[in-house]
Amino acid sequence: MSLNHYLVLGAILFTIGIFGIFLNRRNVIIIMMSIELILLAVNINFVAFSRFMGNVDGQIITFFVMTVAAAEAAIGLAILVAFFRNRATIDVEEIDSMKG
Amino acid sequence: MMVADVIFYLFATVTVLSALGVVGARNPVHSVLFLVLAFFSTAGLFVLMGAEFLAAILVMVYMGAVAILFLFVVMMLDVDFSMLRRESVRYLPMGFVVGAVMLAELGLMMAHHPGEGLHLGLDNTDNTLAIGQALYTRFLYPFEVASLILLVALIGAVALTHRERKRVHRQDISTQLARTKEDAVELRKVASGEGA
Amino acid sequence: MAVEQLDIHLVLMMPEILVAIMAMALLLLSAWTHKGGAGVIHWLTMMTIVAVVLVIQVGSGTATTFGGQFITDDFSRYVKVVMCLGMVLPVLMSADYIRGHGMDGGEYHVVTMFAMLGGMIMASSGGFLILYLGLELMSLSLYVLAAWRRDDRCSSEAGLKYFVLGSVASGLLLYGISMVYGVTGGTGFAEVASFLGKPEGHGSQLLALGVVMILAGMGFKIAAVPFHMWAPDVYQGAPTPVTAFMSVVPKVAAIAALFRILFDVFPTYHVQWVPILQLFAVLSMAVGAFGGLVQTNIKRLLAYSSIGHVGYMLIGLVANSQAGAQGVLVYITIYLFMTVGVFGLIIAFDRQGLGENISDYQGLARKQPVMAFVMAMFMFSMAGIPPLAGFIGKFSIFMAAVKGGFIPLAVVGVLFSAVGAFYYIRVVKVMYFDQPEGEFKVTLSGGGFIVVSLSLFMIFFWGILPGDLLAWTGASVQAFH
Repeated sequence: MSLNHYLVLGAILFTIGIFGIFLNRRNVIIIMMSIELILLAVNINFVAFSRFMGNVDGQIITFFVMTVAAAEAAIGLAILVAFFRNRATIDVEEIDSMKG
Repeated sequence: MMVADVIFYLFATVTVLSALGVVGARNPVHSVLFLVLAFFSTAGLFVLMGAEFLAAILVMVYMGAVAILFLFVVMMLDVDFSMLRRESVRYLPMGFVVGAVMLAELGLMMAHHPGEGLHLGLDNTDNTLAIGQALYTRFLYPFEVASLILLVALIGAVALTHRERKRVHRQDISTQLARTKEDAVELRKVASGEGA
Repeated sequence: MAVEQLDIHLVLMMPEILVAIMAMALLLLSAWTHKGGAGVIHWLTMMTIVAVVLVIQVGSGTATTFGGQFITDDFSRYVKVVMCLGMVLPVLMSADYIRGHGMDGGEYHVVTMFAMLGGMIMASSGGFLILYLGLELMSLSLYVLAAWRRDDRCSSEAGLKYFVLGSVASGLLLYGISMVYGVTGGTGFAEVASFLGKPEGHGSQLLALGVVMILAGMGFKIAAVPFHMWAPDVYQGAPTPVTAFMSVVPKVAAIAALFRILFDVFPTYHVQWVPILQLFAVLSMAVGAFGGLVQTNIKRLLAYSSIGHVGYMLIGLVANSQAGAQGVLVYITIYLFMTVGVFGLIIAFDRQGLGENISDYQGLARKQPVMAFVMAMFMFSMAGIPPLAGFIGKFSIFMAAVKGGFIPLAVVGVLFSAVGAFYYIRVVKVMYFDQPEGEFKVTLSGGGFIVVSLSLFMIFFWGILPGDLLAWTGASVQAFH
């Protein structure tokens, strides 16, 4: 397996993640899952680079990215819950009480 | 093609297809299940690259915590509980598919555990040891900052969602300990024969 | 295996350690005292920040620790003092806003301190990993702060929007960092820079892509166009003290980090990043100038204003010289006082139950000439009208651009600042020439009075006698080039 295989996989996942954000503009939870996919793509990149350069730094970064992603998911879902209590919707298209 | 190639293509295909499932599924519960599958297949790829420690972390943290958190919020917010109870059978086939694919991948991983690439670290130490040695020496400062990030996530999640509930009885230990016999027990003489 | 010799000098990190320890101590205090300790925590927060500023002053020279992951130098110290001011002034002026809107309880201050700590870590970062972690510490705190008024529809909406777009930006940044790591094999700024100094470090497509993605990620954080779409909604929806905080501290931190990345790590890739930043700068100035024209909400207006200001600051980065760096520091310092002053007044209006609409200020000058005058001075300063300090900021940026040979950019900047002056002056017009509809009894709280009068003094003082400011900022940028 060459490095390029993994990088292409990472790029595909990254694209799917970005694509998912635009595709699912109505559902915040799916948007958050798309963000997780983007971070997964980043992790694949880092681990692949780390493996093929024989240097452990990339795996350490992946470790931190996972930590931060977990914290990010917790905060994002907490904000979503607070938002839902005020609105009773997670539909992004209804998130427009401010205009300008 | 070597066995490792076959495994790579298999896991990569499952990852990509389940990622498409995440963004394409109409039902958010299905999306979460696909997300779990994507994480699991990526963990397989990590093992293939000799990063077993991260593979284990990915399974534990992402599938065990993050995905469950998502599932929890999806079910809490999107559908009301009675609907959920009634419709839970509908998620069963999807759950079986995800579980079966994961089981198959696990078996494949066990059967063809690639020996190469495991000695990634410094002097032939194994992967976990190499990561641990770097994490607690060169990366001590980022490690401490990461702990602060987790603390902020903790404070933030509690501050945004915790509500003081009225009419809930809580244990108040100091009040309990401060109670004395005098204000807790009242002795009364009850005349015999007059009780009900 | 042999244990590596660790290079750890905690003395260099005293400001950061002090903030972290005090934030955790205040968290415990607020947990023990419930709501009762909010007042004490408020004062302890401010005293901590004052102590931090003093500790920052103790350091001198350039030094690194943790294998170069932490850098302290004159530049980072200057930026950290600006961040401390950007935190303590909003706290000082918003004591009764926080109490009045049910945001008290101590944790608000704790999270604000963590946000500032993240900014300080970014300003001192010596590697992409620690830069990312500092950025996330700051951003996660800010998402929470924006949604802090959780019973308010707009506030939780602001938090959600900020979160979603901010997380995507972090993803872009990380993807860029992974490219840089893949090409250079390291993430420390020094490692990457030394790799790029070698012949094989030139002309890598992957690396150029990485630089572009890093710029996009950081552009989100400073709300540079085309990554600005979150700013108006978040500025409007977030609680006003949070808006004041987030219009200064994150921008300062991100711009400081950009300095390190662009000047220390990628000087050889300036062919790639100079045109991109030039585009960001022009678009930001344009959106800042035209977007503000149609706004009716004062916080939204200030969001567009801040987008415009970021555009001017980016000109200083584009100039790619010591003069440009100095211009940015001058601009940021003056911007801090203008912004904090205006938000101090907005909080004072909020005390009277007045709305955030510009039309609510109709005829203020008839009833409260002093208030109207102060507001008008801040507006004139933002528009860059001499002799107020806003002019000095714009002037030093444009001079740096001219010296660096970016004359068209400087001309465009001057044109857009003329267009942008319109909407600042519209606010003044509403206050002075429209008929008042109701009664005004706008009063500043004690802290608000201190902040607003200090800001007013600073924009006059530095507008007329900018010598000290220029000397300080000049000394702080010696490290570059």
